[in-house]
Amino acid sequence: MVQAEMVSAGEFRALSQQYNVSGVPQTTVNDGAATVVGAVPESNMVAEIKKIIS
Amino acid sequence: MAKLLNDDVTKQIEEAFAPMQEAVEMMFFSQKNGCQHCADTQQLLEEVAPLSDKINFTIYDLDDDADVAEKFNVDKAPGIVLAAKDGDTVSDYGIRYAGIPSGHEFSALIQDILLVAQRDSNLAPETRDFLKELTEPVLLQVFVTPT
Repeated sequence: MVQAEMVSAGEFRALSQQYNVSGVPQTTVNDGAATVVGAVPESNMVAEIKKIIS
Repeated sequence: MAKLLNDDVTKQIEEAFAPMQEAVEMMFFSQKNGCQHCADTQQLLEEVAPLSDKINFTIYDLDDDADVAEKFNVDKAPGIVLAAKDGDTVSDYGIRYAGIPSGHEFSALIQDILLVAQRDSNLAPETRDFLKELTEPVLLQVFVTPT
């Protein structure tokens, strides 16, 4: 159900620009439904995912 | 070609891999045209794979092996999939790398191999409960700049 992909921003610039990646790490959830900036604790990441699927 | 991993790093990885219990399928997806880091990434993985007999390393081409790429939802090159391998069965854990895993990301790759080998995500119980209830796919794309 969950796919997690590391994306090298420098190698995939078009995708990085599409999601306005300005700092790293930046996590895009479900093609832009949510964005999480920085390396956040597990619970914060879960909270962001919950917001967009409920 | 000169080795990417020096003897010290190779030894450290070998030691880290020593406790690996279960087998890991490490799949590499290359592309013939316009892939700046495919050759480097393939060489890196070719140096990592022999450091544990629990790693099964396979090489694919995004175009020539489009069926495999589609099955594992890989659309970028260089692309890496880390999966569990039990006998002939490969179980997808959803772990992907797009681009060369160098710098910090190389550590992440080694850690991910170990996680898959132990067949445990190390996630908190409440996270596991939440994930069990998921009814729709979730795609997390973590943008990084390997240094």
